[in-house]
Amino acid sequence: MRSKTIFISMIILVTAFCLSAPGFAVEKTYNIVYTMKNLTNPAWLGTWIGAQKAAAEYKMVNLTRVAPAKPDNIAEQTSLMEDVILKRPDAIVFIPVDAVALVPIVEKMNKAGIPVFVYSNEPAGGKYLFFIGNDDPALGYAAAKYGIEAIGGKGKMIIIEGTPGSSTGQGRQKGFLKAVKEYPGIEVLASQTGNFNRLKSMQVMENLLQRFPKIDLVVGANDEEAMGALEAVDQAGRLKEIKVVGIDASPDAIKAILKGRLFGSIRVDPPLAGYMVVKAAIKHLQGEKVPKRVLVPPVIVNKENASRYDVSYEKAPFPSWDEVLKQKDFVTW
Amino acid sequence: MNRYAPIIMRLGIVLGIGVFLTIVRPEFLTMNNLINVARQSSLLFLVSVGLTITILGAGIDLSFGSVLTLSACILGTLLKTDSFFLAILAGLAVGACCGFVNGALVAFIGLPPFMATYGMLWIAQGLAIMFTKSEIIYGFPDNFRIFGVGYLIGIPVPIIIAIILFGVLYFMLIHTVLGRHIYSVGANLQVARLSGIPVKRTQIITYTLSGFLSACAGIVYVSRMNAVEPAIGDSLLLPALGAVAIGGVSLFGGEGGIGNTFMGAIIMSFVINGMNLIGMTSNWQSFTIGAMVVFSVLIDQLRAEKFQTL
Repeated sequence: MRSKTIFISMIILVTAFCLSAPGFAVEKTYNIVYTMKNLTNPAWLGTWIGAQKAAAEYKMVNLTRVAPAKPDNIAEQTSLMEDVILKRPDAIVFIPVDAVALVPIVEKMNKAGIPVFVYSNEPAGGKYLFFIGNDDPALGYAAAKYGIEAIGGKGKMIIIEGTPGSSTGQGRQKGFLKAVKEYPGIEVLASQTGNFNRLKSMQVMENLLQRFPKIDLVVGANDEEAMGALEAVDQAGRLKEIKVVGIDASPDAIKAILKGRLFGSIRVDPPLAGYMVVKAAIKHLQGEKVPKRVLVPPVIVNKENASRYDVSYEKAPFPSWDEVLKQKDFVTW
Repeated sequence: MNRYAPIIMRLGIVLGIGVFLTIVRPEFLTMNNLINVARQSSLLFLVSVGLTITILGAGIDLSFGSVLTLSACILGTLLKTDSFFLAILAGLAVGACCGFVNGALVAFIGLPPFMATYGMLWIAQGLAIMFTKSEIIYGFPDNFRIFGVGYLIGIPVPIIIAIILFGVLYFMLIHTVLGRHIYSVGANLQVARLSGIPVKRTQIITYTLSGFLSACAGIVYVSRMNAVEPAIGDSLLLPALGAVAIGGVSLFGGEGGIGNTFMGAIIMSFVINGMNLIGMTSNWQSFTIGAMVVFSVLIDQLRAEKFQTL
């Protein structure tokens, strides 16, 4: 008789346990991994600030970030992402260090069934549900055109290119050259890479200053390059003669614009990109439909309007998700 | 004669390259350009001296780029608080500390220098990123900028610093007991130890000095760029190795000296300047530098063998 009592008690206990199981259910957290290209360019750190802001709006989002210690290193990002894929996050926010070399990794993510959301630089292949970025050719075009028009549509120009093989660099270069083509009076004296690095661009510019006694305009593929070139031009005492334009409108560049040293830059609004891409991931995980592509229109920052943007990325305001999507021209569903 | 032969040969190479470039690009010989090249040589030399000393001691310091970065970050952060001397002292101290740790790892723990300094490379880089929270520090006071962009009696300050450093280190290596010890340890560590040379102490001093010199170079770089970012040191390791190798310092230790690195830095800067004047793309520039390194090491190798068979 005793064993029968025990048996029935056990059945009752197990049944009670099973019925109360829903009560034990853990709140579903979304693990989202946020990829970056490096930790040294303040523009990318700006995106991280926006990303964190988006995650903070939801209680159940666990946002972590990964970035190669060696800036823009293909091999390192590849192995980092392989580790990330193994951990099976709910979504991956991705930016490839190189558009082509990282395509296999995106395909691996697709195969693992992890939804991918991309910002700023697109991979040349693989499937992703959302892209927000600047049209790099549009950025390059805006920067070059601004500088060219400022020197009267004709003169001698130097281009500091981005890292060879990077899609950002190639896109912006396309934009630069498109603007140059429109002005036959412009002569491109040299187009050399600055590796998106301030020191390297400074050294390249120093040598180019030796080579060319007359230069009117220098355009850099990003602000780091423009600032490096600017230092070289300034130290050679040729700042009055040469206008320097960059892309990013990073805080450092804005200060230089306000001081009248850097002639201008193109605002890229990194926090907005980070914010939108993480928000897209979260909305998707919650079952909402998100647009396929959102392009952020370029804004020229110069001495007239720079003070408006002279805030750190933390404090800079940016529009909300719905406000951005209202700009129908730039949103593709 | 044997010791100075590599240097004299390289002096000839420098003159040869100079003549060639003047013919191809007359603007090479302008005062402006020569000062430019001299300044770039000085910067390269400053970065390569610490490395040279560790290599002479049959070791190597792979971490100097990151140590430079880390000390630059500390330097930059303190400069923003308007404490000029404290900033410089702290920067130098940080460099020396990292060097000391390298030295301790090599001397007391017995780690191969390659491994110890390779680890320090990552550690210092990580510390630099953590310390600055990956932000760039920019805009330094004018009195600090003398180091990088100032002129003293018409000569750019980096060149003067390089010459002073050259003199001091040359004296140290050739005319002091420490210098003799470094060479002995570099030539043959076991024999040195058996001869009663304080090997451990020599090694520690060598690496501490290397870290200290990296910090010195950091001061000049920060002053030039007017900004500190965690990525400064990234691109310095290979050019410095290039200057040392092209200069003819034996990577096995014990042979060569500061003069070799001096020549190596000048040759590299001449060639890079020439390639820029000609308009060579950066891929070909890398190829050329690599070829020069192999060529230099080969020549020294052949010359050494030739002497051995005599």
